Amino acid sequence: MKISYNWIQEYVDFELPPVGELVERIGAQLGAVEEVIDISKKYQGVIISRIVSCRPVEDSDHLNLCFIDDGGVAGDVERNESGHVQVVCGAPNVREGLMVAWLPPGSTVPSSFDKDPFVLGARKLRGYVSNGMIASPQELAIGDSHDGILEIDGDYQPGADFAATFKLNDYVIDIENKMFTHRPDCFGILGVAREIAGIYGHAFTEPDWYEVFTADLSPRGDDLPLRIRNEAVELVPRLMALALRNVAIKASSVWYQTLLSRIGIRPINNIVDATNYYMYLTGQPLHAYDYDKVRALDGSDIATLVARRTAAGEKLTLLNGKEIEPREGAIVIATETQVIGLAGVMGGAETEVDVDTKNIILESATFDMYSIRKTSMVHGLFSEAVTRFNKGQSPYQNDRIVMAASRFMSRESGAEFASDILDEGELRLADGQTTVTNVSVGLDFISERLGYRFEAATAASLLANVGFTVDTSDDDGQEVLHIGVPFWRTDIEIAEDVVEEVGRLYGFDRLPLELPTRMMAPAVTNPMFVLKDQLRNTLSGAGANEVLTYSFVHGKLFDAIGQDKAMAYSLTNALSPDLQYYRQSLTPSLLDKVYANVRAGYGQFALFELGKAHIADSTLLEDGVPVEFEQLSLVFAADPKSAKQYGGAAYYQAQYYLMNLLSQLGIQQQVRLSALNVEGYQDADKAKTTIYHPSRAATVWSGDTIIGEIGEYKSSVRKALKLPEYCAGFELDLHALLQLRQTIKQYKALPKFPKTGQDICLRVPTPTSYQAVYDLVSGMAQDAYGEHALVTVSPLDIFQRDADEAYKQITLRISIASYQRTLTDAEVSKLLDDIANKAAETLQAERV
Amino acid sequence: MNYQFPTIAETADTLSKRLENLDNKADILRAVELKALYDELRILPNDQKAAFGAEVNALRNSLQEQVESHQENEQALTPIDVTAPFDINSTIEDRPRLLPAEQGSIHPLMTELKSILDIFYRMGFTAVESREIDDDYHMFGALNFHENHPARDDYDTFMTKQTDANGKPFIAPAHTSSMQHRILKGYKNLLENDMPIAAVIPGRVFRNEDLDARHEHTFYQVEGVYVGRGVHVGNLIATLKTFLQEYYQKELEVKTQPFYFPFTEPSFEFALSCPFCDKAGCNICSQSGWIELLGCGMIHPNVLREAGVDPELYTGFAWGFGVERLVMMKYGIEDIRHFESAKLDFLRQFA
Repeated sequence: MKISYNWIQEYVDFELPPVGELVERIGAQLGAVEEVIDISKKYQGVIISRIVSCRPVEDSDHLNLCFIDDGGVAGDVERNESGHVQVVCGAPNVREGLMVAWLPPGSTVPSSFDKDPFVLGARKLRGYVSNGMIASPQELAIGDSHDGILEIDGDYQPGADFAATFKLNDYVIDIENKMFTHRPDCFGILGVAREIAGIYGHAFTEPDWYEVFTADLSPRGDDLPLRIRNEAVELVPRLMALALRNVAIKASSVWYQTLLSRIGIRPINNIVDATNYYMYLTGQPLHAYDYDKVRALDGSDIATLVARRTAAGEKLTLLNGKEIEPREGAIVIATETQVIGLAGVMGGAETEVDVDTKNIILESATFDMYSIRKTSMVHGLFSEAVTRFNKGQSPYQNDRIVMAASRFMSRESGAEFASDILDEGELRLADGQTTVTNVSVGLDFISERLGYRFEAATAASLLANVGFTVDTSDDDGQEVLHIGVPFWRTDIEIAEDVVEEVGRLYGFDRLPLELPTRMMAPAVTNPMFVLKDQLRNTLSGAGANEVLTYSFVHGKLFDAIGQDKAMAYSLTNALSPDLQYYRQSLTPSLLDKVYANVRAGYGQFALFELGKAHIADSTLLEDGVPVEFEQLSLVFAADPKSAKQYGGAAYYQAQYYLMNLLSQLGIQQQVRLSALNVEGYQDADKAKTTIYHPSRAATVWSGDTIIGEIGEYKSSVRKALKLPEYCAGFELDLHALLQLRQTIKQYKALPKFPKTGQDICLRVPTPTSYQAVYDLVSGMAQDAYGEHALVTVSPLDIFQRDADEAYKQITLRISIASYQRTLTDAEVSKLLDDIANKAAETLQAERV
Repeated sequence: MNYQFPTIAETADTLSKRLENLDNKADILRAVELKALYDELRILPNDQKAAFGAEVNALRNSLQEQVESHQENEQALTPIDVTAPFDINSTIEDRPRLLPAEQGSIHPLMTELKSILDIFYRMGFTAVESREIDDDYHMFGALNFHENHPARDDYDTFMTKQTDANGKPFIAPAHTSSMQHRILKGYKNLLENDMPIAAVIPGRVFRNEDLDARHEHTFYQVEGVYVGRGVHVGNLIATLKTFLQEYYQKELEVKTQPFYFPFTEPSFEFALSCPFCDKAGCNICSQSGWIELLGCGMIHPNVLREAGVDPELYTGFAWGFGVERLVMMKYGIEDIRHFESAKLDFLRQFA
C-alpha cells in the first residue's frame, strides 16, 4: 500500500512529523514500511510557464518556435527583449496561451531520473536554439501519454514551481500489504491517515461525506432507465449503482493526474481516474460502465446490471483483451443477456468507458473475499481491486463512496445525475447508525494482557481517536469499556481484538518488559534429542559427515532402487517431479549424493543423516496422521584408489561403523546380525530392503525385533546412481535404538590378579558363521569362571587357504583375569581343550 | 512367457539353453537368432508388425533381465559371513577402520539448533520435534484459520494425494505452528498444577516456493509456546529479547511491528538491533541497523479454547523463526541451497 505523505497531511488536523520519524512510528504501530521514496528530487527546477507566442518552423512539418513566459524565474538562460525564453516544441497540441510545464536548461527530465538521468541544455534544432523543453505527461513521469505536452488547467501563474504547486515535493511511503491482511480499511488513504492520527494521540476528523451519508443528486438530468439485481446475496452483501449522463470524457485536471501518479497510478481519463482516486482514498474499488453499451447488449430500453454466479460455458472478454471462460461459481456482473465483468477482479471490454462515452453507470459493491481470491488465482488476474476485495471491504461504506465519487465525476466531467441510487443487498446502516458491532471488555482484561495498568480514560481516548465509540461503566469495582466498532472496521469482534488495538495505539514497544517467573523444576529433556546428539557426536567423531537431504524425492529414484511408488505419500502440487514423493527411507537420498562428492575429488567418505521416512500404508496414529519413522542412515563410499587400503568387502567397513555406534550406545552385545531375508519382513517394511545386494547384506536384530539393515547395494542401484564399487551402509530405526540405549554403561571391577591370555584357532566349514564360533568360545569361557573372573574374547584372524575353500580358520584370543587367584597356564590350556572338543562336536571344528 | 509366434518361441527356447553355458552372459543379447527376429519384423506385413514386435521386445527384455540377474548372482559368488568383524584373509593393516576424526562434521543447522535448544532448556522450555506430514486440522483448523483461508488452498501449501479420515489431503507443514495444538493439549495438565506450558518445537517445514540463493522449499523453524496465568505481551518481548541476548552474548535492542497471523492476537514481527554492527549499518542488516527475525504474538483465544485451555484463566504467547537465516548471517553463507546439497566442500568447513 503506497501512501503519499502530503495526501495524508490533508486529512489530519496536526502537522505531521518529518518523514523519517513518521515512518518509524508507522513501522512500530501500524505495519512494516518497505520503502520510502523522495519524489521531490525528480521535479527540481520544473517551472509552470505560459506560451506567449508560437509559430511553425520553416522546413519542418511539426516543429514550432515558441516563446514562453516563465515569470523570469529561470536563471542563466537567454531571453528576448520581453524577457521570454525561446523553446522549440514538436508537440501537436502546442499553441499560444497554453500553460505548460517547462524543463529549463540544467534540469533533469523527470522520467529519466531513476534510470539514466537526462540533463537538458540549450541546443539548436533546425537552426533555432531550444532552451530546455516543454514536457509531456510521459516525460514528467505522470502518465504514459507522449502524444502531446501536458496542458495545465486551472489558475496558476507563470513562474510557479511545478512541484510546489502540485505538491510533488512529496514522499511516497510503501507499507507492506501483508500487514493489512485483516485491515481492509488501511488500503485507503483515509484509513491510514486515521491510524496515523491515532498513533500520534490525535482524534481523527472524518470527512463529512464519509461520516454521514447524504443523498445529493444535483444537478439532475433526464433519467436513464437503470435497474440492478443481486442474485447472489450470500456472496454479494451489497450492490449499488447509479447513472450519470452527459459526461465529457477528457484528461483529469493536472492536480488529480499528479496526485494519482505520485502513488503509481497511471491517469487515464476523468472517469477512470475518479474511480481510482476513490479506491485509493477509501479502499473501496469502483467500476464505471458505458451506459449505452450496457443497454445495447440487451437491445432494451433499460440498462440492467445483475450480480450472480456464472452459468456453465459463459464467456467474457476482459479489459486486457483476453477472452476467458470465468471459473464455475465465480461472481460476475451481467446484463440480462450476457456477462460483462468478472466481479471484483476485472471489467469487461465490451462495456468499457472510452473517449466517445456519453453516459455511464457507476457501481460500488462488496464481494466475498474468498470467492474473489479464488477467481483471481484461477485466472491469474491480479489487480488493485483484487488486492482490496480479497481483504473483505466493509459493505457499509458503499453508499458514502458511490455518492462522493459520482459527485466528483459530475464536477470533473460536467455530468448530470440520471437515476436514483440503487442499492441491493443485505448489509446497510440505519439512519444515524455509525457503529456495527459492540464489544465490552474489562479494563483489567486489557491491562493483564498487556502487562501495564491502563487508566480507563487513556484506553478510551486511544480508541475514540480512531472512531470507536467508548462508554465506561463500573461493574462492582471492575471498570468496563463498552466499545462501538465503527462501520469501516471489519476486524474487531472479541475482547482480544480490543487489547491489540489499545496496545498498538499506545505502542507495544512502550510496554514494560518482564520475564515470566517459574518454579525451579527443570525443563523435561527429550530423550530422542539426547540420542540424536549422541549419534551426531559419535559419527562425526568417527570422521563421518552429517548431511541433510530433502524429504521429497523423484519417482525415478524409487524406480532405480526398486521401491514401490504406490507405497509413498505423493504430492499433488509438487514444484517439480524431483520433489513429488515423500521418501520411504533415507539411504537412497544419501546414495544420490555419493557420486557428486566422488566427482568433487573426495576419495573416501561417510555420509550420515538423521531424518524421517513415511510409508503410505493405511496405518495412522491415534490423532489421524501418518506414522513417522525416525531413521539414521549412513553410507560409506571409497573410489577404487582409496578402496585399495581396505581388504575384503565394503560391507565390513559399514559394519565397523555400526558396531562402533552400538558400542557407544552400550548395546553392542544385544544386537545380532543375520543374512538379509526379505521373507522375514512385513509388506510395509520391505521397501527398506530393496536396495541391498541379497548376498552382501544383513538384518540388524535386537531379540526378535528388526532394528535396521546393513549391506552393500545391488548392482542395478550402483549402476543407476553411479556408485563406486566399494560402497556400503546401514539404516536404523531410532525409536528402537532409543528403547535399547543404555544411559549407564556396564562396568566391571578390575581384578587384582594378573591377566592370562591364550589364542585358540578353529578350522570350521566355510558356511559356519563367525558368530557361532564366537558364541561357543565366549560362552564356555564365561561359564568356566562365572563371576569369579573377567573374561574377554576377541577376534585375531580369519584365514582361508587358497586350496582349502571349504574351510576357514578362526583365531580368537581369550583373556582371563581372576578376582581370586593367579591362574595357571595349565588350567587355561585345559579350558581351551574343552572348548576345542565341544567345537568339534557341535561345529565340526578342528583345532589348529 | 508363452510366445504366440512359433519362430519367437523357438528362439526363446534356444537362447535360454545357451545362456546357461555362456561365460559372458551379456553375449546372449548379441545372438544372431535375436537379430534374425528383428530382421523378420522389418519384412512382415503391416498388420502383424505390432504383435510380432511386441513379442520380440518382450523376449529381449526377458533376456536382459536374466543377464542382470546372473550378474547379480555372479557377485554373490563370494558369499560373505555377515556376522564376522572383517573379511576372510584380511590383514591387520587392511581391516575396517574409522575415518580420521578431523574430517567428521555435524551439519551446521543441527549445531545451531542444538545451541538454540540449549538456551531454551536453561530458560525452562522442553523441546518437542515437529512432524513432516500433518493434517488439515492441525495445520489450519486448530489454528483459527477460516475455512476458506487462502493458505488452505494448494497454491501455498504442499498437499498429498492421500487423504485423512475427513477426506482432506495430508499436508507438508508450512510452519511449525502445526504443533501448537498438540503441545497445548498434551501439556495442559501442567496448568492445572500451576505450572506453565513451556515448549520449543524445532522442525522441518515446507513452502511451495521456487529455489534460488535466498529461497528454499525446505527449511527449519523453531516454534515456541508459553502459556500460564497472567502471561502478557511484556513477557513475550522480554522472553525473546533474553533469548537473543544469550544467543548473541551481548546487549541488544528489540522492537516489534504489528503483523497478522490467524492464530495470534495481537501478532508481531520482531526485530533486533543488528548484533554484527551494533546498529551502525552493515551488509547483514542491509544498512538498516535492524534484523527482522521472527513472527510472534499472543495465542488467539480460539486456539487455546480448541485445545481445551480456558482463555479467561490462561494466556500465552508463541513465536516461530527460521534457523537457516541465523546460520547464514553467522558464517556469511551466500546460498541457502548449500544446506541440503550434501556437498562435502560445504560440510567439511564445519568439521
